[in-house]
Amino acid sequence: MMSMRTRRLARWPTWVVALVAAFVAMTATAGADGDAARGEKRFEDCAACHSIERGVNGLGPTLYGIFGRKAGELSDYHFSPALKRSGIIWTEGTLDTFIADSQATVPANRMPYAGMPDAADRADLIAYLQKAAK
Amino acid sequence: MATKLKEVDAVIVGLGWTGGILGKELAEAGLKVVALERGAMRDPAKDFAVPNIRDELRYVVRHDLMQNTARDTLTIRNNPSQEALPMRRLGSFLPGEVVGGSAVHWSGHTWRWTDMEFKVRSMYEERFGKNFIPADMTIQDWGITYAELEPYYDKFEYTAAISGKAGNIKGQIQPGGNPFEAPRARDYPLPPLTPILASEMFTAAAKNNGYHPFPRPSANASRAYTNPDGSKFGACQYCGHCQRFGCEANAKGSPQITVIPIAMRNPNFELRTNSWVTKVLKDSDGKRVTGVTYTNVLNGEEFEQPAGMVLLCAYAINNVHLMLLSGIGAPYDPVAQTGVIGKNYCYQTGAGATLFFEGRHFNPFMNAGGSNASIDDFNTNWDFDRGKLGFVGGYTVAGGFNTVLPIGYRPVPRGTPQWGKAWKAATAKWYQTAMNIGASGSVMANRYNYYDLDPTYRNAFGLPLMRMTFDYKANEHKMGEHAAQTINTIAKSMNPTHLTEATARTQPWTVVPYQSTHNTGGTIMGTNPRDSALNKYLQSWDCHNLFVVGANVFPHNASYNPTGPVGALAYWTADAIKNHYVKNPGPLVPA
Repeated sequence: MMSMRTRRLARWPTWVVALVAAFVAMTATAGADGDAARGEKRFEDCAACHSIERGVNGLGPTLYGIFGRKAGELSDYHFSPALKRSGIIWTEGTLDTFIADSQATVPANRMPYAGMPDAADRADLIAYLQKAAK
Repeated sequence: MATKLKEVDAVIVGLGWTGGILGKELAEAGLKVVALERGAMRDPAKDFAVPNIRDELRYVVRHDLMQNTARDTLTIRNNPSQEALPMRRLGSFLPGEVVGGSAVHWSGHTWRWTDMEFKVRSMYEERFGKNFIPADMTIQDWGITYAELEPYYDKFEYTAAISGKAGNIKGQIQPGGNPFEAPRARDYPLPPLTPILASEMFTAAAKNNGYHPFPRPSANASRAYTNPDGSKFGACQYCGHCQRFGCEANAKGSPQITVIPIAMRNPNFELRTNSWVTKVLKDSDGKRVTGVTYTNVLNGEEFEQPAGMVLLCAYAINNVHLMLLSGIGAPYDPVAQTGVIGKNYCYQTGAGATLFFEGRHFNPFMNAGGSNASIDDFNTNWDFDRGKLGFVGGYTVAGGFNTVLPIGYRPVPRGTPQWGKAWKAATAKWYQTAMNIGASGSVMANRYNYYDLDPTYRNAFGLPLMRMTFDYKANEHKMGEHAAQTINTIAKSMNPTHLTEATARTQPWTVVPYQSTHNTGGTIMGTNPRDSALNKYLQSWDCHNLFVVGANVFPHNASYNPTGPVGALAYWTADAIKNHYVKNPGPLVPA
């Protein structure tokens, strides 16, 4: 059968994005409840570009010591202006929102990643990072 | 005077897929390996990151990752009666020139060539008789079988993160895959890429016409993946900048994110970049090679690198060029039909149609290197009867997009003015509404398609340029016409608003515009030294400690992209060297 779907470029109004982001942020406090062992498997999504070792940047910046750090702050990595301007401090909550849909959270950031839609997966990943990227 | 360096066990010339695979494997086997790469190092983290990588001018127009024709190029002609002229600018094909080679900028299409290629002469003769193959068509069996190569295809597919759907696992036909493929031991490591609208529409139309569409297998990771060596891949983002670009998401199967960094962590392996090999050296009786000479292109300094073994792993054309420059093996002569080096140069042919659907939105900027659907009904399908059509070989047909560039891609229906207001209005109107259906066709070896050294023109090192003599022959014209007909039948069945029909390439081949970076042959593998340069382990018949790896070993060219067998043969050769040659150096096949 021929697919009759038409695909259009969806350009969501900013208030919708903000609302969704706020909702995601509110519901995303599960980080501490995640399973770090399962999260290590989820980290496969990130590992091609991000290391968890101090000073080792790849296509993405190292995630070593990310919690409590200001977004776009590492001196030896070239961040997008969007991320530098974002004012985000990385916490369980902000990281969860960003990983869910980074382009909605910080439009024009440069991370080529489509997002991790499942909240439990994100909680596991964050639990892993809390353990491994300290 | 060249500075003579300390001898190593093996020197590798060119560090792309084949050099990377052999470098890693031989260093792990305990050999001291030096790799000489004429290009520079590229660091994905710095060079391929968004947004700088999405630079159409730098990578597409100015060929940033490719061979610099001001330093070395080829001369080109269609037949021996013409005077060949230098190709001053890259066009029809794009050899890579960086660490990672052409596999940095490839799209990732990865196929398993079957016995229909490896036994081409015997299969056609058996079915259609000896007279079916024209006298000037110098095709021959490869001396290797699909069964021998199967585990090595598997190894390469799992290394390079191929996304696809198996069509035949151990003889069981798998729904959704290519039913004509040869049996494989297991499925691809990753599921197929997400189809785009154009490939979905092509798939539906191909099915309606009675064909067997399937997603094209390609080295674009459909999800995050860790390969058996521990190399990590991100998921493809369908960014639309695959062919001619490095990958911004580490999602493209490439040696610079897999085998090369592993080799470089091994203390047995050393890489020297900007190192241009000018000659392979032989000992006094010509039975062994002793090393190579190379020039540091940054300062002009010359070195001699002695080595127990030389592995030519440069781009296919450049491997053949080095053999001719070094005087190893007898150069091919098309008149006397003697000699083997330069013999059986092949290319590919093709045809394409553009379909316009008013009101449709294809979002052509969103695609992967391999987000096409293909049919193999006219290729590996041996039931497709070439007998009454009178040609050898076959063609694949595919619908979809691969790297549709923001500036370069301007589809407009035939009859649109080529500039001005009307063109601008048309390009805005039709950009979203067009899709392509294309065919890629095999080219059979011909007596008069070959390489030799140019008698007139020289490169920056004062060495003769390679001369390429090539044209499509009647076999390709016939097949191209059949391919165009198939494409147009499928296209018309889809009822497009406008259709720019496919036509066969029957004019003489020219070096512009871009057609395909699938140059094959020149140092072909085979069963005996009379009609081939290398044995089935890609070992030189003349010098047993010289191996030549790459598409230059193919005795003819299929419709499929060459990287599948190139990667598999590199692993196959690595095994032969590690397990047999090192223990007992000498010819692996008696001459």
